[in-house]
Amino acid sequence: MSPRNPLILIALFVTLLLSMAAAVLTGPTSIPIGSILTNPVYYQIISEIRVPRVIAAVLVGAALATAGTAMQGLFRNPMADPYIIGTSAGGSLGAAISIVFLAGLGLPVFAFIGAIGSTFLVYMIARRGGKVPVETLLLTGVALSMFLSAMLSFLMYTAGKSLHQIIFWLMGGFWTVSWSQVHVGLLIPIGCVAIYIFARDINIISLGEEEAMHLGVNVEQLKVILLFISSLLAGIAVSIAGAIGFIGLITPHIMRTIVGPDHRVLLPAAILAGSILLLWADTFARTFGNEMPVGIITSFFGAPFFMYLLRRRMRA
Amino acid sequence: MKAVEITGLDVRYGAARILEEIAFSAEQGEMIGIVGPNGSGKTTLLKAMSRIVTPESGEIYYNNQDMADLTFRQLAREVAVVPQEIAIQFDYTVREIVTMGRHPFIGRFASESREDHAICTRAMKLASVDHLAETSVNAISGGERQRVLIARALAQEPKVLLLDEATSNLDISHQIEILSIIRRETVRASIISVFHDLNLASSYCDRILLLKDRQIHAMGPPAEVLTRENIRAVYGVDVIVRKHPLTGRPYILLMYDHERGAPQSTRIHILCGGGTGSELMQTLHAQGMQITTGVLNILDSDYLTAKELGIMVISEPPFSPISEESVSILKRCLTEADLIILLNMPIGRGNIENIRVLNGYKEKVVMYGMDSGIQDYSGGEATRLITDLCGCGALRIESIQEMQSFLSSKRLHEKKDKSGMII
Repeated sequence: MSPRNPLILIALFVTLLLSMAAAVLTGPTSIPIGSILTNPVYYQIISEIRVPRVIAAVLVGAALATAGTAMQGLFRNPMADPYIIGTSAGGSLGAAISIVFLAGLGLPVFAFIGAIGSTFLVYMIARRGGKVPVETLLLTGVALSMFLSAMLSFLMYTAGKSLHQIIFWLMGGFWTVSWSQVHVGLLIPIGCVAIYIFARDINIISLGEEEAMHLGVNVEQLKVILLFISSLLAGIAVSIAGAIGFIGLITPHIMRTIVGPDHRVLLPAAILAGSILLLWADTFARTFGNEMPVGIITSFFGAPFFMYLLRRRMRA
Repeated sequence: MKAVEITGLDVRYGAARILEEIAFSAEQGEMIGIVGPNGSGKTTLLKAMSRIVTPESGEIYYNNQDMADLTFRQLAREVAVVPQEIAIQFDYTVREIVTMGRHPFIGRFASESREDHAICTRAMKLASVDHLAETSVNAISGGERQRVLIARALAQEPKVLLLDEATSNLDISHQIEILSIIRRETVRASIISVFHDLNLASSYCDRILLLKDRQIHAMGPPAEVLTRENIRAVYGVDVIVRKHPLTGRPYILLMYDHERGAPQSTRIHILCGGGTGSELMQTLHAQGMQITTGVLNILDSDYLTAKELGIMVISEPPFSPISEESVSILKRCLTEADLIILLNMPIGRGNIENIRVLNGYKEKVVMYGMDSGIQDYSGGEATRLITDLCGCGALRIESIQEMQSFLSSKRLHEKKDKSGMII
């Protein structure tokens, strides 16, 4: 580990804390710090709207960054993201079903089941003779995502007046977040720690499956663990805030260029960076964007940045 | 205790049989080379031994432990693998890659101890990549990257080291460097390596395992396994097997146009000895000439070449003079020959008879390579006889190119004669 890496982690952590404080104090209603405790309306806005929302953004950012980093390592593919094995398509379909047939009742649960269910389906389809080659997994994920997207499109086509609601949800955002969702989101740190326990194994499997076997990694078991926890994390994230793009893809990239590929450093760095990025994107959305879906902002800034990274990669 | 013991190993991919009835063992500190043509199952054997592929039947034991009973972690403490080459997607440093070799020894919630780091540093020194420790593995050359993989395998402190053509993509200096590093590791480990290059296998291995069509064709010391017959049977090519002058191990020379030229009617007798005739014999043999040679002593290197090429050779036991019987055979050969080529061989009392008989065949004699002076150990007689031959107008040829153009002009000449006869 490079000696400056601990400093980078500390700097990211401090930045996150300061960002959270700043985000709580920022919003369409300007609230002077001094009057938070004295003014009950201000107190209400802070404690019931902004604090849960800030925590949710931080947790979802952490979940997407963790799952993205783990998937990129597992698939040895820097283009992988948390949704690559059907998570977002499944989650979106689940949410759309809830909106169309149940008027949005139990939407987070449907989204979660959709996300986890599609990952499980991809795994079972790709499995053969007790083994799941990552290439097959990747392609199965792409194929199933397309199939689920077709079903989603069909639902949207027949949705009638709830179409608007589906589209809004698909773009992803935190405007509906309340404390109850934050409570579900508290599973996220547990998932992040669980992935971190396997950081050294991710390092090794990122060299290739056979290599990992030679170095004493139980590859098939590791795949199940990483896929399960990652899809759980992505599923929770989707159920809280919809399918927010680019955070899970880009944060591992950025942090890899700064702290290197060792997942024991990369994972915490990506978690912190993912939280900070999503927190600022959401703060921007609710303060200046008139509650614009945060997915628009992450993609709007994320896609050009990603292209910049691609160009740089080609030059390297 | 055997370091490796394999019994009745069968491997299949679906319906295709890849390995059948493989059984062998390796002693502690032994280096074994696995050779065989493409598709003979070399790499699969190594993959079965590192549990990448699951065998249909058969057992693999490492130091009396059944591999099937070991966890991946336990197996990685016994066996390390150096692959042919790997593409590393992310920019790990050399030290990070080598440190991964300690993975099977470190607990899930622990990180590398001071001792682990010391082992890795030592491994990097052994493979001479310590100066690259903080460099990205994607910023170094192929040879350096291969040494990094060897350092990683050494960091595993394995009891058995498996190599899959670990040097086949490297230039010769790196091949030798890396194989020497590995060879030294037999102090601690048994080594089993797949080779494409038979000469590398011959030079570095204690024993060779030759695979043919999924099965073991032969196994034993290089001199027993790497024979002309075995190589012909397994690879379907003719080769010349020599002893390497420094190592004494078999050295395999390829006969590049191993399809022999169309048989020619020209009969040539070559008088040679002490290795002077080998090159010429091989060249003319490859052109399809009908060649005879002798009289030579058995074990003379020209005798061995003639035997390898399947050339008729008149011979005498080692250090024996030429018998009358041999002289009469020689005369018969000389009579039948269209051409007699006398090479600049050392001539002593033992073989001077070969020159004496030439008196009756002066018009057929061509001398080859005499410019460097006659190697006369016969007290002047050889010099006199050869000078006499020259006096009679025997042709002198100095290079193999000159010899070839002479032979082709001679063939042309013969054809003209024949056509002349028809007219």
